[in-house]
Amino acid sequence: MDTVLQAALNGLVSGTILALPAIGFTAMFAVLRYPNFAVAAFATLGAYGGWMANAWLGWPVVAALVAAFALAGLVGACIERVALEPLRPAGPLTVAIAAIALNVVIENILRFSFGNDLRGYDLPLARDVHFAGLRIAPQQIENLALALAVMAALFGFLAFTRIGKAMRATADNPDLARLKGIEPRRVELLAVLVGAGLCGVGGMLLGLDTSVDPLTGFRVVLSVFAAAVVGGLGSIPGAVAGALVIGLAEELATLAVAPTYKSAVGFVAILLVLTLRPRGLLGERAY
Amino acid sequence: MSGWANYIVFIIATGGFYALLALSLNLIWGGAGMVNLGLAGFFALGAYASALLTVSAGAPIVAGFVGALVVGAVGGYVVTMSTTRLRGDYLAIVTLGFAETIRLIANNEIWLTRGSDGISGIPGPFRAALGGWFNAAYAAGTVALVVLVWFLLRRLDLSPYGRALRAVREDQQVAQVAGKRILRFKIEAFAISAAIAALAGALYGHFNSYVAPDVFQPLITIYIFLAVAAGGVGRAAGAVLGAYLVIFFLEATRFAAAAIPDLSPVQHAAIREMLVGLALVLVLRWRPQGLLPEHIPPAPRPASTS
Amino acid sequence: MTARFSRLTRRTALAAGAMTLAMPAVVRAQGEPIRLATLTPLTGAGGPYGPVMAKAAAAVVEEVNKAGGVLGRRVQLVSEDDQTNPEAGVRAARKLIDVDKVAAIMGTWASSVTTAVAPLCWESKTMLCTVSGADSITQLPHQGYLIRTQPNSTLQVRRLGEYILSLGARRVFQMIPQTPFTQSSITLLEAALKKGGGDQGSLIYDDKKPTYRSEVDQALRYNPDLIFAAGYTPDTVVLLKDLFRAGFKGKIIGFAYSINQKLIDQIGQADVVEGVYTFAPSPAADATAYERVKKVVGTDSPDPYTCQVYDHVNLVLMAIAAAKEASGTAIRDTVRKVSQGGGKTIDNAVDGIKAITAGEKVDYVGASGPCDFDEKGDIIDCKFRYEQVKANKLTLLKIA
Repeated sequence: MDTVLQAALNGLVSGTILALPAIGFTAMFAVLRYPNFAVAAFATLGAYGGWMANAWLGWPVVAALVAAFALAGLVGACIERVALEPLRPAGPLTVAIAAIALNVVIENILRFSFGNDLRGYDLPLARDVHFAGLRIAPQQIENLALALAVMAALFGFLAFTRIGKAMRATADNPDLARLKGIEPRRVELLAVLVGAGLCGVGGMLLGLDTSVDPLTGFRVVLSVFAAAVVGGLGSIPGAVAGALVIGLAEELATLAVAPTYKSAVGFVAILLVLTLRPRGLLGERAY
Repeated sequence: MSGWANYIVFIIATGGFYALLALSLNLIWGGAGMVNLGLAGFFALGAYASALLTVSAGAPIVAGFVGALVVGAVGGYVVTMSTTRLRGDYLAIVTLGFAETIRLIANNEIWLTRGSDGISGIPGPFRAALGGWFNAAYAAGTVALVVLVWFLLRRLDLSPYGRALRAVREDQQVAQVAGKRILRFKIEAFAISAAIAALAGALYGHFNSYVAPDVFQPLITIYIFLAVAAGGVGRAAGAVLGAYLVIFFLEATRFAAAAIPDLSPVQHAAIREMLVGLALVLVLRWRPQGLLPEHIPPAPRPASTS
Repeated sequence: MTARFSRLTRRTALAAGAMTLAMPAVVRAQGEPIRLATLTPLTGAGGPYGPVMAKAAAAVVEEVNKAGGVLGRRVQLVSEDDQTNPEAGVRAARKLIDVDKVAAIMGTWASSVTTAVAPLCWESKTMLCTVSGADSITQLPHQGYLIRTQPNSTLQVRRLGEYILSLGARRVFQMIPQTPFTQSSITLLEAALKKGGGDQGSLIYDDKKPTYRSEVDQALRYNPDLIFAAGYTPDTVVLLKDLFRAGFKGKIIGFAYSINQKLIDQIGQADVVEGVYTFAPSPAADATAYERVKKVVGTDSPDPYTCQVYDHVNLVLMAIAAAKEASGTAIRDTVRKVSQGGGKTIDNAVDGIKAITAGEKVDYVGASGPCDFDEKGDIIDCKFRYEQVKANKLTLLKIA
């Protein structure tokens, strides 16, 4: 029983790592209506942004997270404006393919600049605390808290600010939003800035546990997609729920299946959800 | 044969495998407006099916090719079943996961696939008899097969079936109203496409005499997207041309990169990969119709068909 | 017309003469350069290793060129990327063999790439030197055109088992990703441990995950006194962090190619890696090549792959010198004459080439081991270098 509880706890922790990039991915989808597959590169960019701020400039975690957000968000917004937006008339899938290609471009710009060496943050690692027979990582609680804080800020932004409301309106019905005088391009750009930025923050949190190299974001990207689809593409609460479900499923699966198949868990979850409940846990119509 | 000739023959053969993959992608992307990001997975299915049939089960090579076609078609059918009702984005994500899962299975089910060791010693047709001419003969055979598949796809394209597919691509609702059974069309097209990708896999395996999970990484899918986009989405001949352009581009960048002084090998490698991605973005942006734009033949008049 | 022609030639000849005087031995080496190649992973999963290997090979070649080259010819090194992918690796190898016409390809890393490239090499009579670990590689019908410096799993794991027992550990848990030597590593280590009264549990993990908390829990339930972390650097970073968080107090051992100075720097926290053991193939304690690698490559603790590729280049260059011919077949036929069988002990190609030119018999003792090969291309035997992380530095415990 303890084993299952412990695995579930581990699952929540790894789910939190997935949550931020999944929110970023789904938020961009909600507003722009195409899957921005460049999230792997955004996460990696965030990891490098945070790393440069932390290791070179000596910034503390929170400031480094802001740097991660800024770098990934700005690059995301730039490539949206320069490379992706002009492709929109060709249809969402064309944009999605270009986004995949941009993954390769960004990965290799980072490789060209930094090489393949693994980088680490200058932040201490702490031992787990034991509580009622379970072990909990204080740091990962911190990560969880950070992730939750970011999510809360995002919800507040969407619920209470004018531009946030405009964003939701655009996501719900772009034509109606335009009628109401909302400038869609501004909203879209902001959505990419925030979405890519969140992927960057997620990438840095990921880098804290793993390492920073050109493939940092790439390693988790399938789980991130799985989280977004399971939660319902386009739904922000859904992305959080989906991330936790994927995290839990991956860790609990290690008790039943060979741990080598962890990466396949997300795929199976996608297939199950799409067969049984295509719109995902909290999503809208999927067809 | 030796030297440049040998190298060029090898590139022609490899370009042929890419061309089949491009034809496969073109059928569904250009034909039905669906996107398969798991091309590498179907490529792997065919390569493994044929390798296992010929090496482990001792079947003749022809049986390997047929097996690859069947396994590929079944794989394509299964993958699309759960997603055809959904928007294309979902199919894209499912296929992405599918390719990774196939790679995981190939890596871990050692009893079947020999794991990360891969399967070596895959027979090539008449390899011993042809000796040094094997590569040239195989390249010629591959090109012939590419032409055959191109011809068949063209026939398909011009048939009422092809027109129906395009109708599905242009507007699902209208096609549905017109009484087209969209779901069936999409699944069938995807299965045929997957079978072609699997055929490319089988060809690859018998040529290189070795397959391993590492071959089937996502980058190859990006190469093929570049090929189809550059050649012209919707034009089978464009897909073939695009595939050869891509392989030429991949190889030419080796020589070009070497001409840039004062860079480390890893920087050369980064530039080469970066150029592939950049080329795809630029083609989609500046020449979305590709080099050979699609031209849709007018539907025959009722009088002439009856 | 004639006048202008002669003036031109005179000027050219003068300039050429001046240049010859001004230039070091490098350029005076005459004739077509001897072409050799590295084929290492510069992108993809092997990315953390390939660039250093290419750099090490280039350093050796530069050193030899400075000393006048081989057979009076300059050595030219071509470095290609195998993308950690056999398909890309084969394309690169074809170019190296057919266009560059290299005599040897060195440094292939992923076993899959080596297995794919090997047939091209033996068919075209090109020498292949590899660091891949899969046991199946030397079983290929390579006709002698393949040598590898990485010990096969039988040699490696048997010694590891003995060493683990000597550390006093009895309950060992092996955590390993899926690689070509995973199965043999698990069975061989279990056998080796059982012989000494120990036992083993094992788990094969997915090497791309950002956390191994549940895997670590599973390992700890076995209650091990030693964990063998048998992955590569990127996944071992995550694993070591999670073992630390879980409060594992037992011993940890891993391959030196995985737990290297870069990993230690990456983790950057002494108590996470303190006391971790590493092991790598090595020559005898009195060998000098390891110290030379440090100097030539410019690093304090060269990882095992760097040492191995250093050995590849040295062996190939000396074989060319001994055969007086720069072809794959010549290298195949003479590499064992310079690598083993007694003679003057040599730790680098510059000295080796001098000795060979002077008619001496040489026996190369490399940085990764004595570099003596059996007929299959496997190393016959080697010592192992056991190190331990102390205050963020790898410190030598023993060579045995």
